[in-house]
Amino acid sequence: MISRIAGLGWVTPLGMGLDEVWTRIAAGDAAEIKTIANPETGRAHPYAPVPLKMVESVGRNPRMRRSSAISYFAVAAGLAALENAGLAITPETAAKTALVFAISSGGVIYTRKFYEQIVKQGANAASPLLFPETVYNAPASHLAAHLGINGASYTLVGDSSVGLAALKFGEQLLAMGNLDRVVVVGSEEMDWVLCEAYRDWRLTRPDPAGKSGALLAEGAAAVVLAREGSIDVPVIHPGVPFFRRSEAASAFDRAIAETLAGRSVDIVVGGANGTFVDRIERAGISAHCPDAECIFPKRALGEALGAGALMQVVTGALAMRHQGKTSALVSSIGFNQQASCALLQLPP
Amino acid sequence: MPVADFGALAENSLRMPASSTSKLCRVAITAAGVVSPLGHGMEETARSLREGRDCVAPVTRFDVSRTRCKTAGQIPPAGAELDQRLRALRLARFHPASISIIEAAWEVHAMDPFFQPELTVVGATGGGMSYGEAFYKAQVEKRRPRERAMWLANYLPQKAVLDAQEACGFRSPSQIIANACASGTNAVGHAFALVRSGTCRRVLCGGYDIISEMVFVGFDSLQASTPEKIRPFDKDRTGLALGEGAALLALEEWDSARERGASILAEITGYGISTDNHHLTQPHPSGIGPRRAMERALADARRTPAEIDYINAHGTATAFNDATEGVAIFEVFGSRAPVSSTKSMMGHALGAAGAIEAVFSVLALRDQFLPPNIHFREPDPALPLNVVANESRAARVRRVVSHSFGFGGANASIVLEEAAP
Repeated sequence: MISRIAGLGWVTPLGMGLDEVWTRIAAGDAAEIKTIANPETGRAHPYAPVPLKMVESVGRNPRMRRSSAISYFAVAAGLAALENAGLAITPETAAKTALVFAISSGGVIYTRKFYEQIVKQGANAASPLLFPETVYNAPASHLAAHLGINGASYTLVGDSSVGLAALKFGEQLLAMGNLDRVVVVGSEEMDWVLCEAYRDWRLTRPDPAGKSGALLAEGAAAVVLAREGSIDVPVIHPGVPFFRRSEAASAFDRAIAETLAGRSVDIVVGGANGTFVDRIERAGISAHCPDAECIFPKRALGEALGAGALMQVVTGALAMRHQGKTSALVSSIGFNQQASCALLQLPP
Repeated sequence: MPVADFGALAENSLRMPASSTSKLCRVAITAAGVVSPLGHGMEETARSLREGRDCVAPVTRFDVSRTRCKTAGQIPPAGAELDQRLRALRLARFHPASISIIEAAWEVHAMDPFFQPELTVVGATGGGMSYGEAFYKAQVEKRRPRERAMWLANYLPQKAVLDAQEACGFRSPSQIIANACASGTNAVGHAFALVRSGTCRRVLCGGYDIISEMVFVGFDSLQASTPEKIRPFDKDRTGLALGEGAALLALEEWDSARERGASILAEITGYGISTDNHHLTQPHPSGIGPRRAMERALADARRTPAEIDYINAHGTATAFNDATEGVAIFEVFGSRAPVSSTKSMMGHALGAAGAIEAVFSVLALRDQFLPPNIHFREPDPALPLNVVANESRAARVRRVVSHSFGFGGANASIVLEEAAP
């Protein structure tokens, strides 16, 4: 059984419209960079935000009243992908739909706020309203409630390759279960403490104009994986783990070789983000698909961690459509877990 | 230590998932490992379960002077031999979460040294949360201690899983499920489904979670945790205590395990998952969410409620959970099947709970006994259940159902059976 892409959606720093954002990526536009400061030290960090105004309609649902930005992005992207697939969710279709959610850092804004109360005011001042939104599966829960899904809903956590792991998980559910579709969504929000952490980890750029280091970003991406759709996904690699960064190159080389299995592709949608990933990815692409056109959407959209690899999948599908190409390879090298790839093809 | 056959792993890991119409395989558990407040390893755990030990004690790891609840189930210190082995791995660079899952992985590896997973599926909710807490406190205190890099590298949930893989020479892709308190059962259930469908031949699965200040205060703020003893399904239950631990199970296609001469501890035969959209933290009072998961697991196992000999309940001892779960159990199983919540002995290990309780269920099948529900004083008249009150019982145990339910409306049930040829 081959999984197929039936619908796409995203919420990015460049906008929400599929074609609108694709046009801006293709034109070389980049997300507006803002700074977020550590209130304790004043240290500022560049990042690419998604204006909440873009997803404010989601907040009209009473369930979302106390939710954080990550849930808004997730719900908006998931609903957009279903609309793109031409699907109206009814109790009958919901019964045949599963949800797989990808996340890397999760609800960091509420997590930091909740722990701040504990540290600064004492445990007895901690708000019970914040805590439930800190769990990793809170965004998935809100989306499931929106869609009326009462069957399978999974949240996967991992490094920035987790989007492809979620796509693989969706493929597994679709093949094993009595399902018609799986909505695969990745989402991420930013907070100063997360920016501090990645900067101390030496993975992000210290100043907005810098070229070295990732630009952390917010946003979400969603793919409706189904038995019928306009783009085949014949291979989703389950990932090759690496225990230390020095093993990442060989892990990626194996992932790309096994995914392509001798095939050539028209386009590579890379995950290059200004970190050690770039060098490894460049070497892998040069070795395995030297003639492919390369697109690096993180240069435009930033590094959205749990949403990043799925944004690449959406970019790949749009690139095939807009450029009349028949195949695309999506590559993803995470920061500390695994390297993975997925192959997109037009049906024969 | 066997070295992974990367050629074979590559072939298997890229195999397309089998379609739902394919022939279903039997799924054997060939090894298991566990560490929890009840002890280190399967044998100490089995003794604690039979004795009904109360392993919930005052929290010493962080300040609890301003919380209502002051107790939790905590993993006891490791013995000298284990401690020495951990030190050889440069223990200081690992988070306690890594140490717990490494210990469980070592036990799996010792029990079945030739088991090489092609996929690892683990449930977790917090990862190395206490390192995240330390990082935040350092920001507030305007300190930049040298440990920052170590905190960051070990904070994310995938790190502990990779540490366990490396400690045992496993090198497989990993899927880390974060479905709140149902994570562990979801991980075991998904791994079971992959092996049964023929998508994978061997999967390592389980869960881990370690108590952290933030999560402890979180449950306290919700008034879900109790300053008293935890009394699941009791009329006077007042809430939960947190616990911690890790458990892993080696799942393998039955014929493959038999052919290579592996011992088979038990069989998994069914898995059910459901999502309750009622509220982020509270289940629908009708028990519809848990009931769907139970019914789907039974249907998946092709078993009737009357064929179940023991129910290892989620049983957190909160008013809401036990009322909802109790109604669901009664509606599906009636009052016949013995029920206990082993959380009464060790607290609620969140993302690890389902995996730990799957191992408890394996022990109940292996040693033919029913683990007790301790601190039980008076039945709740609204929940007419056959609770295994206070003391373990010898019993003929052929089939067990284990449940987990979590925030976000995550519900999961699995069916385990004794290893009949």
